[in-house]
Amino acid sequence: MATTSAGASETPKSASAPRSASSAAREVVFSVRHLWKVFGPKADRIPEDTSVAGLSAQELREKTGCTAAVRDVSFDVHKGEVFVVMGLSGSGKSTLVRCLTRLIEPTSGGLEMDGEDVRAMDRSSLRELRRRRASMVFQHFGLLPHRTVVDNVAYGLEIQGVSKAERRERATEMVEKVGLAGLEKRRPGQLSGGQQQRVGLARALAVDPEVLLFDEPFSALDPLIRRDMQEEVVRLHREEGRTMVFITHDLAEALRVGDRIALMRDGEIVQLGTPEEIVGSPADDYVRDFVRDVPREQVLTVRRAMRPAEDGESDQGPALTPDTLISDAIEAVARCGGAARVVDEGRCLGIVDHACLLNVVARVDHRPEEVAA
Amino acid sequence: MSMFTAPPIAAALKVDAKPRPVQQLLNRRGLAKLLLLAVAAAVLVPLLHAKYGAAWPSSLTVDVSGPLGRTSDWIIDNRDSHWLFTYFLGHLSNAVVLSVRGVYLLLLALGWTGVTAGVTLLAWRVAGVRIAATALISFLVSGLLGMWVPTMQTLALMVVAVVASVVVGALLGLAAGLSGRLFKLLRPVLDTMQVLPAFAYLLPVVLVFGIGVPAALLATVIYAAPPMARLTALGLRGADAGVLEAVSSLGATGRQRLLTARLPLARKELLLGVNQSIMMALSMVVIASMIGAAGLGDRVYQALASVDVGAALAAAIPIVLLAIVMDRTTAAAGERLGAEPDTSGPKLLRGRLVWAGIGVLTAVLALVGRLTGSLVWPTGWVVAIARPVNDFKEWMVGHLYSGVPVIGGTADWAAHFTNWVLNPLRDGLTALPWYGTLLIVAALAWLIGTWRTALTAVLAMAAIGVLGVWKPSMNTLSQVIAALVVTLVLGFGIGVLAAGSKRFEAILRPVLDVMQTMPQFVYLIPVVALFAVGRAPAAAAAVVYALPAVIRITTQGLRQVDAAAMESARSLGATRWQTLRQVQLPLARPALLLAVNQGVVLVLAVVIIGGLVGGGALGYDVVTGLATGDLALGLVAGVAIVCLGLMLDRVTQPTERRTTGKGA
Repeated sequence: MATTSAGASETPKSASAPRSASSAAREVVFSVRHLWKVFGPKADRIPEDTSVAGLSAQELREKTGCTAAVRDVSFDVHKGEVFVVMGLSGSGKSTLVRCLTRLIEPTSGGLEMDGEDVRAMDRSSLRELRRRRASMVFQHFGLLPHRTVVDNVAYGLEIQGVSKAERRERATEMVEKVGLAGLEKRRPGQLSGGQQQRVGLARALAVDPEVLLFDEPFSALDPLIRRDMQEEVVRLHREEGRTMVFITHDLAEALRVGDRIALMRDGEIVQLGTPEEIVGSPADDYVRDFVRDVPREQVLTVRRAMRPAEDGESDQGPALTPDTLISDAIEAVARCGGAARVVDEGRCLGIVDHACLLNVVARVDHRPEEVAA
Repeated sequence: MSMFTAPPIAAALKVDAKPRPVQQLLNRRGLAKLLLLAVAAAVLVPLLHAKYGAAWPSSLTVDVSGPLGRTSDWIIDNRDSHWLFTYFLGHLSNAVVLSVRGVYLLLLALGWTGVTAGVTLLAWRVAGVRIAATALISFLVSGLLGMWVPTMQTLALMVVAVVASVVVGALLGLAAGLSGRLFKLLRPVLDTMQVLPAFAYLLPVVLVFGIGVPAALLATVIYAAPPMARLTALGLRGADAGVLEAVSSLGATGRQRLLTARLPLARKELLLGVNQSIMMALSMVVIASMIGAAGLGDRVYQALASVDVGAALAAAIPIVLLAIVMDRTTAAAGERLGAEPDTSGPKLLRGRLVWAGIGVLTAVLALVGRLTGSLVWPTGWVVAIARPVNDFKEWMVGHLYSGVPVIGGTADWAAHFTNWVLNPLRDGLTALPWYGTLLIVAALAWLIGTWRTALTAVLAMAAIGVLGVWKPSMNTLSQVIAALVVTLVLGFGIGVLAAGSKRFEAILRPVLDVMQTMPQFVYLIPVVALFAVGRAPAAAAAVVYALPAVIRITTQGLRQVDAAAMESARSLGATRWQTLRQVQLPLARPALLLAVNQGVVLVLAVVIIGGLVGGGALGYDVVTGLATGDLALGLVAGVAIVCLGLMLDRVTQPTERRTTGKGA
């Protein structure tokens, strides 16, 4: 267990380690504890009222007229990771991300950023937080239609009171960084959706925030463009290592960009873990249903598929690292025609052969353990 | 977004999923309303009839002419001494006189060369070459018609009135845009002010300021400021929530939000507000000639009083041209907003230096005019059209008014319309017991709207009775109804045709554009030429005035019907007529109701003004009240007009939020 997240429903999983968050004690950026956001009359009473706090969404609405968009959510976002919150529409994920900078005021619970209590902040320190520490990219871009691209990108700096020359310079730099050089003088209305979202991304980056918050940033884009933008985000993250909180309803997108994924349903986190944990060991039927169509060979690693080495096998065949994806292992096995070794720091951990790999693809691996979880 | 979109979608699905029960519920509800009213009527009618009789009872009438006359006398006596006048209204009135005078003198000093050049260049800068050419031609034509001085008088009034209306309206709108409570408070007031005929505003300002420029200008501002306020508030409130959220997420303060996001996002609405304010102001400045506004309107008014169609036309043409220039310039400026900086046109007309350039050029041309000694339009260049127009009108009177074989003459038509439609309708309405009228009003308003609108409508109608002007109001009402029916038949017919044929719509559009920009007053001239004076021409003017709006709303409503619904009807093999009747018209019902509502409001406005050309009834009372100084008579008629307008609007006002209260 490498992560120490406090997610209530996080499944303990020992078979696999998180993909990139390998160090145990990482700096925590956002720390969320028992956060609630309830809409409706007398909303602030709901979280404390034990008689209704446990009701289902439907029952809660019938009984109190309130909707709990976020209910009793706890998690940590670590420095430098891409933390994905995924769920269907209405699951409360967009509300949750807005609660992080109090664009929506949480009803109750604890919320800290770098150890500072965000909920206790007054207006000016909250404004400072929004100006310099956390900026957001929106699904529908939220660009100012009457400003040019470069002025849109510079807008955050303008709000901060940065001089015109300086903000122009930084904005131009950002426009180039997101690949829009040459379009500085256009208006948002003259750009395609993908280009507009690049402007939104540049605007968020221009203020050099500690955390980037993405609210379903690519949902409104065409599939091909979406793919481009996802790669752009992955690239940016690789280059800068900026912490990101990424909201999406698209599982493929979550698996592609996320280091860890929190899966939400009806305002609650159903499972929190690495993509491999979510796909390999779904916490319940809901999650299992959710990940059913995921091509497992592209998410799971050989660590899951391997079997103990039998005599003489541990020094034969191609060597794979434990983090190798099943799909890559299939290729290696197919090429050599026999079994492959899983080697970590010179030690043979196990063997993958045709049967092991096929089992994973066919979902007949690790059955007992899943049921136990 | 998920949390916000989910509930409305769910609600929409709920409604969509079971349209039948909802429909049935509505039907049943309508039936229930009618039943309830019938029961109430069965109980109340015999009682009321036994007690009061069929005519509006005198015991329920309050004679307000005494107190009103005393108020008027008091104001006249105290105008120079009371603090209210010396410290507030007096200053206001002086400021108005001074500013109008100042602008007028400036325009005169610029001379016709300077003014024409300045306006043309301005139009070029903000709206492009074509509109600049329109402006140039318009001003030259005004001069040619010998109307230069009255045009400048009207222009001076317009400049001051528009600036005042826009400032007042924008401030009100800003307040309402930022404060939800104020918006709730202000919105019904502004909505109501927009449906009231211009005539209703004349008397109160005359009561306070007396006849003269201040009264005319204030009436104009009161009439023209509401659209600006309304659109400003709506623009500020309607700003894209996503953009505002993004702005907040970047840590903007309230002020930064307003200045960098909300106001710029509302630019289109603001400019539309300016455009509407200008058009309303022009309409009112012309009508306000009756209370002391000099200029083109006054010329028309004088000419109409002596049925001098030629002179009226000479003054009306500049009004129409002025309206077109102002409308097109502001509309084009609005359309250009947000578009790429224009690269067409000479380089001279771009950038900031242009404004200075316009100033310099105007000054130079003004100087040239001054040096050549032709400040006012040279008299030698005037083309007198009054006489030929009048000759033509005489010819029409001789040849077209009656006795044309088969079709009869225009005067015959007017007489037939009066005898066979207006008279029976008026007599019927007058003969109808007053409680019957109230019941019909209540039933209509309740069926189309809510009990609130029904209550307002009934109260407004009752107020007319209480004021003792039941009979003239019924007369006016009969003209409104007759004109409305004609308008709707023509408007829906043409609207359906235009919605069906792109070519027909393309031909129609410029005609409608011009018709919609013309001030109400102007419509009286051609109908007087065609039908002489009387109630029929007033109704005809009303029809012509209201028609464009009805056609336009009908066409748009039919066009905006969900294409998928149309396609599915066609795929099922529906004929064009079936599609129209079973899909388009039902789906366009909100638009059609809106067309009726707009039609009523516009028809009423002109029927009232028809008092000037023999329309009689309430409009005539206002005119007489103004002409004879009998303010009480005019004021009562004015209030009755307000009540009638309120009633007609409420009766035809569909419920805006039918779904509220039904969700849970």
